[in-house]
Amino acid sequence: MLRRHSEYLILLAVLTTMVLLFGLLRDSFFSAATLGSVANRIPALALVATGMTLVMITGGIDLSVGSLVGFCGAAVGVAMADWHWGLALALVGSMLLGGLVGSTTGAVSVKLGLPSFIVSLGMLEIARGLAFLSTNSQTKYIGTSIEALGAPIGGWVLSPAFFISVVVVIAGQILLSHTALGRHWIAIGANREAALISGVPVDRPRILAHGLLGALTGLAAVFNCSRLGSADPNAGVGFELSAIAAVVVGGTSLMGGRGSVVKSFFGVLIIATLEAGLVQIGASEPMKRVITGAVIIAAVLADTWRRK
Amino acid sequence: MMTPTRLLFATALLSLFVGCGKSDKPATDKPRVALVMKSLANEFFQTMAEGAKKHQAQHAAEYELVVNGIKNETDLAEQVGLVEQMVAQGVQAIVIAPADSKALIPALKRAQAAGVLIINIDNKLDPDTLSQAGLTAPFVGPDNRAGAKAVGEVLAKQLKAGDEVAILEGVTTAFNSQQRRAGFEDAMNAAGMKIVTVQSGQWEMEKANGVAAGILAANPNVKALLCANDNMAIGAAAAVQAAGKTGQVKIVGFDNIAALKPLIAEGRVLATADQHGDLLAVFGIEAALKVLKDKATPADQQTPVDVVVE
Repeated sequence: MLRRHSEYLILLAVLTTMVLLFGLLRDSFFSAATLGSVANRIPALALVATGMTLVMITGGIDLSVGSLVGFCGAAVGVAMADWHWGLALALVGSMLLGGLVGSTTGAVSVKLGLPSFIVSLGMLEIARGLAFLSTNSQTKYIGTSIEALGAPIGGWVLSPAFFISVVVVIAGQILLSHTALGRHWIAIGANREAALISGVPVDRPRILAHGLLGALTGLAAVFNCSRLGSADPNAGVGFELSAIAAVVVGGTSLMGGRGSVVKSFFGVLIIATLEAGLVQIGASEPMKRVITGAVIIAAVLADTWRRK
Repeated sequence: MMTPTRLLFATALLSLFVGCGKSDKPATDKPRVALVMKSLANEFFQTMAEGAKKHQAQHAAEYELVVNGIKNETDLAEQVGLVEQMVAQGVQAIVIAPADSKALIPALKRAQAAGVLIINIDNKLDPDTLSQAGLTAPFVGPDNRAGAKAVGEVLAKQLKAGDEVAILEGVTTAFNSQQRRAGFEDAMNAAGMKIVTVQSGQWEMEKANGVAAGILAANPNVKALLCANDNMAIGAAAAVQAAGKTGQVKIVGFDNIAALKPLIAEGRVLATADQHGDLLAVFGIEAALKVLKDKATPADQQTPVDVVVE
């Protein structure tokens, strides 16, 4: 029990240090406006990081999520701006589309025995191409019909999107640590042969994890569009790296078999705080990249030391 | 919506056939002009390419057109490859929007040595490197700095001297971004505004949204955000709204893309610059045809930039 708590303590310490440091460098960092801008960055990343954690625990990975944010967002843009769909229908459609793409990546990888790294790399190109094709490469302006989802409730800092993402994180953790499916994912990631011999199904749970990640990415795309009131087919370039960074910072193993959704959420908080803080202290673009990279490595190092 | 998608597929298929066909060799002595673009997945270059295709369809008797674009705006090697292929295809002129203002020059120099006329559009090739390489490539295009300055002046009329403003630039290495930033700075400094920060939104809506939110939090007195393109202006407008400061923080953009029009109509964005994207490639092609026809000496040519307000 103590061991489990110490894992959170490390992450909390990293987060607190960052907040204090940014607060020291810039008075305005401790403000509702900062909290709001960080809270706005969190939902999409938290959803994708939750799904990515599940996929990575099974020993897989999905590099196509950034492109899928672009493609699902493009579909939402076309559906709402050109076809005049309502928000609820577009949201469900986006999740189904994302789930379909994610399951396809998973099924091709699992059934044909190809590494998910390679299959999702291919899907990264396909989804981005489809995003451009479906929008004719144009940004779609959706307007107020989608903005409520990302706007603060009652004018205060937190949006419906934020609360939905927190619920998803909690549900993801329960699924992982309190259900048979979750135990199967961990068993598959830890040792697939052993899992197979002991009668654990190894194919369907893996495809399901990819499908879930896809559906959550579809929801993340809707949140993204709602925050901007528009759909940009270029959205989400490099997003897969932020998501993977958040998951890895949270201590999930790239080799599979070990990880936690809640800790990935801490990873998301660290990445989002870092982004907001670096803007506020006015760091230049090259410095932002250098510092972000260094923080990711430092956070993973801290986790590794604690484990030893 | 079905129709444009179908049209796009049809165009893509058609261009495949044309590309693979045996009829590549010029049947007549019409000049062949190659348009080498940046990413055709980008709305701005897509508009440019479509304008060029329309122009060619209207002047089909005068010239043939080959349009090429690269996949990723920063993939220089791919664009160098395109230039080489166009030379191998035997075009008379290359109208190019270079992905980099220096790195394309050696490839263009080889093309010129092979007798191909080079016209530079969109992103201006670096003058020093050009003269070092001994390449003449006239620039036909808008003055981004003057355009940004004009937009900045419209904004300055809505502010008072000493007001705090912030600039969102594009990719810092891009010449266009540097010019627009300089134009914004010219206008703001002339009007006595205080530029509190200049940060990059990487030309992207979502990145700009995050950066703008940070700027607003860090500088509560900021009265305006000057964005080097419209995608970033849309992202900034969303950040201003999220901060509950719609109307208090003015926003300007650059490019006049379709998605910005509703924001200008609603008053959430004050102004943008229209450099007539659909005609930018056409201006370059016309300049190339004129040089080929009259054997004239190529010269730089400035194309119009207009400020768009509600």
